[in-house]
Amino acid sequence: MAGRENAAAVATSAPCASGRWQGDSLSDMRRRMVDRVATGLCWLATILVLLMLFSILFVLVRNGLGGLRWVTFVHVTLPPGQGGGLANAIVGSLIQTGLAVLIGAPVGLLVGIYLAEFTATDGRFINLVRFISDLLLSAPSILVGLFIYMIVVVPTGHFSGMAGALALSMLVVPVVVRTTEDMLRLVPLSMREAAIALGAPRWRVILFVCLRAARDGVATGILLALARVSGETAPLLFTSLGNMNWSVSPAAPMASLPVTIYQYAGAAYEDWTALAWTGALLITAGILMINITVRLGLGRNRK
Amino acid sequence: MTVAEKQPVPAAISVRNLDFYYGANHALKNISIDFPQGQVTGMIGPSGCGKSTLLRVLNRMYDLYPGQRATGEVIFDGCNILGPKVNLNVLRARVGMVFQKPTPFPMSIYDNIAFGVRLHERLDRTAMDARVEDVLKRVALWPEVRDRLHDSAAALSGGQQQRLCIARTIATRPEVVLLDEPTSALDPVSTARIEELLDELKADFTIAIVTHNLQQAARCADQVAFFYMGEVVEVDSADRMFTAPRENRTQDYITGRFG
Repeated sequence: MAGRENAAAVATSAPCASGRWQGDSLSDMRRRMVDRVATGLCWLATILVLLMLFSILFVLVRNGLGGLRWVTFVHVTLPPGQGGGLANAIVGSLIQTGLAVLIGAPVGLLVGIYLAEFTATDGRFINLVRFISDLLLSAPSILVGLFIYMIVVVPTGHFSGMAGALALSMLVVPVVVRTTEDMLRLVPLSMREAAIALGAPRWRVILFVCLRAARDGVATGILLALARVSGETAPLLFTSLGNMNWSVSPAAPMASLPVTIYQYAGAAYEDWTALAWTGALLITAGILMINITVRLGLGRNRK
Repeated sequence: MTVAEKQPVPAAISVRNLDFYYGANHALKNISIDFPQGQVTGMIGPSGCGKSTLLRVLNRMYDLYPGQRATGEVIFDGCNILGPKVNLNVLRARVGMVFQKPTPFPMSIYDNIAFGVRLHERLDRTAMDARVEDVLKRVALWPEVRDRLHDSAAALSGGQQQRLCIARTIATRPEVVLLDEPTSALDPVSTARIEELLDELKADFTIAIVTHNLQQAARCADQVAFFYMGEVVEVDSADRMFTAPRENRTQDYITGRFG
């Protein structure tokens, strides 16, 4: 390769107008071609992805926007033809994801701190914990739902919002573990040593120096976990089940947007499928808002 | 052998027959050295010769890392601080440390200083304000930051951050201050200010400073120790060390033949 290039360069060598400068040798032309083809493929892939994303958004908005009426937010789901809303599903989703984060985030935070800060303990155990956490991160969510069904729903004898929240919290934990550990590992060792050199005990160093330095990243992880579970359907099917009526008790079966979408989208009634679209639009808008919050929050703190 | 024996100045810290190991690596070999009270001891020598390691023994920083261990004696205030019953947090409050890179905490200038003080003393608001003002004045940072005490410390320049770190260290009122190449990350002007500062601080603190800058050692230190391959080759007054060293290895190092 290199030899042929040199030969080409030598063959056309004139003081300044050589092929090396003009770029008109065969190998140069070939190189430019490859460059163009590769750039073109990159563009094509980007456009394809954007097209998919925007077509999903477009269909969501076109089919869901009509349902964004007052009644959707204040009325509960009703039998077909009676013009109900999604109030119970919206509130149920908020309660269950809220509880899931309240339960899962502290656990994830503590495990993340353990993995990042207590490195003096047996490395094999740390690696085992991290491996299990990563495994949970990619576990099929329907298995998590079945697990909670076995240990909560079966013993208590009924479906409940709490069971749904617990299933979701099991998905929150590994996300928060990963981001917390990663963010804490970005805190330089010298900062820890500086705090310890002042005579600070371990817990103060972690709480007031390390976590403070990693604050934005840790908060981002919790918000992303919230965004992740707010669209989960499978873990809720066998746990909170869904509820056609207004119910805010975590002890009773509870409605949620994803489960309502799942039930309504395949229905034969037009008003139900319309509500399913609206629910999907609401979830998407919610996740979008969380992501925007994350971006704005990080941008503000970087200044 | 050491200068301290000839001098009337008592030692704040006496190191006796100290050996230090990073796992199997024997990093300090039978070291004995005194740090005279109220004086600046400069520690010089090529990279990896054990200067910083010794510093990290004096406040037992090495304890953080499994596999690092020290044997021998380090006498501070009549007690061997290598012993098992030493309260490390109290020791570190009494033997403060400033690092090579400025390490401001992610909080305000005021809180950076108050953080260390709150660990060991309960001060009311006025007393804390006074303490913060006092130490910031001592490191000559007060005029520059008095109007933005509650702004983030990260916005300060490198030199200002290092002076803040020194202020933070002396705010807990230690008896000994260890400095590990405190100016190697700073520009010449900031370096000069910190050197001036050392001269004022030695009235109240015993100072041990590791430096790669021989001029700095000559300017700041009363006593200089030359380290080589984990041993203390020579300890003498700065004057004699740089004009008439007794050992050939010291002579070779300070004239730039190695290191």
